[in-house]
Amino acid sequence: MDEQEWVIRELDQLFDSSQDYKQKALLKAAADLIREQETRKQQLQGELDGTLWSPGNWGN
Amino acid sequence: MKTLVIISHPSVDESGSQQFLIQALSDRSLEQVTLHPLEKTYPDGVIDVKHEQELLKSHDRIIFQFPFYWYSSPPLLKHWQDEVLTEHFAFGYRGNKLEGKELGLVLSIGLAEKEYQTGGQEGYSISELTKPFQAVARKTGMTYIKPLSIFQYAYMSEEERMGLLIRYQQYLTLKKPDSLKPREEWVIAALKETATETLGTDHSDFIIEQVIEHIEDNRMELDELRMHIDNYHE
Repeated sequence: MDEQEWVIRELDQLFDSSQDYKQKALLKAAADLIREQETRKQQLQGELDGTLWSPGNWGN
Repeated sequence: MKTLVIISHPSVDESGSQQFLIQALSDRSLEQVTLHPLEKTYPDGVIDVKHEQELLKSHDRIIFQFPFYWYSSPPLLKHWQDEVLTEHFAFGYRGNKLEGKELGLVLSIGLAEKEYQTGGQEGYSISELTKPFQAVARKTGMTYIKPLSIFQYAYMSEEERMGLLIRYQQYLTLKKPDSLKPREEWVIAALKETATETLGTDHSDFIIEQVIEHIEDNRMELDELRMHIDNYHE
């Protein structure tokens, strides 16, 4: 299990055990945010790969 | 940044969505936010113009929060605009008191989002139907920010409502509520303050710490990636 899966699994467990509605909302928001960061990382990685392979940069 | 939320609803205490939003605010959010329910403040409809103008002056972001009735606000909010946004205060000679502030809308809407477009049941978009508010912002020198539109609150799932609870607070308190980085900072600050007693496990402190660290590590990676990309474009 990688770190992200572990963090999200722990957040899910805290979500289940928390007795406070607003706190639950925050824990869910944290998990959603981490997923969003992961997506953004993949997008930027894709953009970087694309940039490296762009013919415009081949002469550099 | 201080935010003034002007709520207009004929019976705010009986409205599920309005009560949800009012209760959504954490103590931390409330340090930045003033809630101002118009109908409760002025049950007879007589508005204290001086007081309202002082309120406007002392806040940076002004929010009109109301149910979207017949493509507009409930009548007291329109009356409020007529009375409070006067010449020499909001526009005209020396009427620059609102210049540089932001105007936003929190709308609760009875139909689904997909109906608000050409060919949909309503036929017009929310952007088209809220033009008068955009024009008010323009005339008074305020920046109109994207509205927070809440479609069919009554049909929202518990998870969707939790998402709304967070989005609403960020909408009221963040300079750029849509951007990822400020939302990361918001979540981290909220996690640091969350009461571990209600979390229900004994090692919750450790988990929260790990979560914060993970969000921060991700941010570092994102910034690094962005830097590499920018370098190639230089």
